[in-house]
Amino acid sequence: MTKNVVTILDTGETYGCAREENLLDAMVRLGRKGIPSGCHGGGCGVCKIHIVDGTWRGKTMSREHVSSDEEARGIVLACRAYPSSDVTLKVLGKMKKAVCRERKYGLV
Amino acid sequence: MGVMRIGHINLRVLDMDAALDHYENTMGLSRTDTDADGNVYLKCWDEWDKYSVILTEADTAGMNSIAFKVEKDADLDAFKKRITDYGVAVTDMPPGEMNACGRAIRFTLPSGHDMRLYAEKEFLGKAVGTLNPEPWPDETKGVKAHWLDHALLMCELNPEKGVNKVAENTKFMSEVLDFHLGEQVLVGPDGDIQAATWMFRTSTPHDIAFVGGPKMGLHHCAFFLDEWSDVLKAADIMAKRKVKIDVTPQRHGITRGSTIYFFDPSGNRNETFAGLGYLAQPDMPPITWTEENLWRGIFYHTGEEAGEFTSVYT
Ligand code: FES
Ligand SMILES: [Fe+2]
Repeated sequence: MTKNVVTILDTGETYGCAREENLLDAMVRLGRKGIPSGCHGGGCGVCKIHIVDGTWRGKTMSREHVSSDEEARGIVLACRAYPSSDVTLKVLGKMKKAVCRERKYGLV
Repeated sequence: MGVMRIGHINLRVLDMDAALDHYENTMGLSRTDTDADGNVYLKCWDEWDKYSVILTEADTAGMNSIAFKVEKDADLDAFKKRITDYGVAVTDMPPGEMNACGRAIRFTLPSGHDMRLYAEKEFLGKAVGTLNPEPWPDETKGVKAHWLDHALLMCELNPEKGVNKVAENTKFMSEVLDFHLGEQVLVGPDGDIQAATWMFRTSTPHDIAFVGGPKMGLHHCAFFLDEWSDVLKAADIMAKRKVKIDVTPQRHGITRGSTIYFFDPSGNRNETFAGLGYLAQPDMPPITWTEENLWRGIFYHTGEEAGEFTSVYT
């Protein structure tokens, strides 16, 4: 199984991801805290990324979190994107925020 | 008289085939109908009405509506009046508008969730029947869920802006629909902000729960299993079938249930929930959890947030 090389632009880290594997599953294997591993089904929107370079194949993802216009520009949910070449990506939204979350009222 | 139990939930799914594989082969529900719009209806083996889950293919995940069954047809008129008097608009649904159901009423909870009440639904019967039944059926698949047990709805909570839809829903459910408060979480500097509540009409600690979050949505819907050993086995089945598990088997302090949180293929969180918890009765004093013990209430053993409890929902 040949793996594509994925580069996270924000941190400079790289990881391997096969064509039949989604970008989130492979990223989670990095084992770093703060990678929000949510529903893995394209529904919750927590794993939003911007693929700035490389080609990929997408499965259905929630339009509440990614518009078709965004999808066309490579803004996708990592759990629904399968790389078909080496890929460079940036993490977005909740992916970024998850690390430095602060709570005042227990739950919010 | 009044509301009996949760009747059904309508979930939006991104891919119907994947959703059916999950609800049929992992959860053990069986398909009982498909309507002209392509909505699929399913029931658990221990339920007698035609369905408890409606799957609707859509381009977003989440919950469309939730319905509760009332005991008598006349209850619908009484509730319609009480809901209207409370200041909430009620829409009549003629028989059949909800598939295989009699007339129904629908309204929007203060949190924005679509709720329906109905008194009649087509009867199909339990898989084991009613005459000298076996304790469980042979043909059920996967985790063999008994019934749809409850749902947890996320409600907007923003104390700084004076928004607390958890408290508003709780007041509405208790004053208008005669639900009882089983447990609550109180937070804030004065410990007076109702951040989460668990409410019941049956004799178990909750039939519906409301938890505060940044925006409204569905946190999870839960399916009943008998006991702890079934929960462990259910987790094995999910691991075999590569279901994305959010929180592995453990106990809730709140409601005392044993639980697994996991996601359906569209990202809607499901739960398998086992055990009675305790006998809940209208005269039972509500239980309160304070902010410092909030996570002990949710995940009793570790007392810490596990999985993505607060950050991920649909
Ligand atoms: S993890 Fe939920 S959308 Fe990717
Ligand atoms: Fe639950």
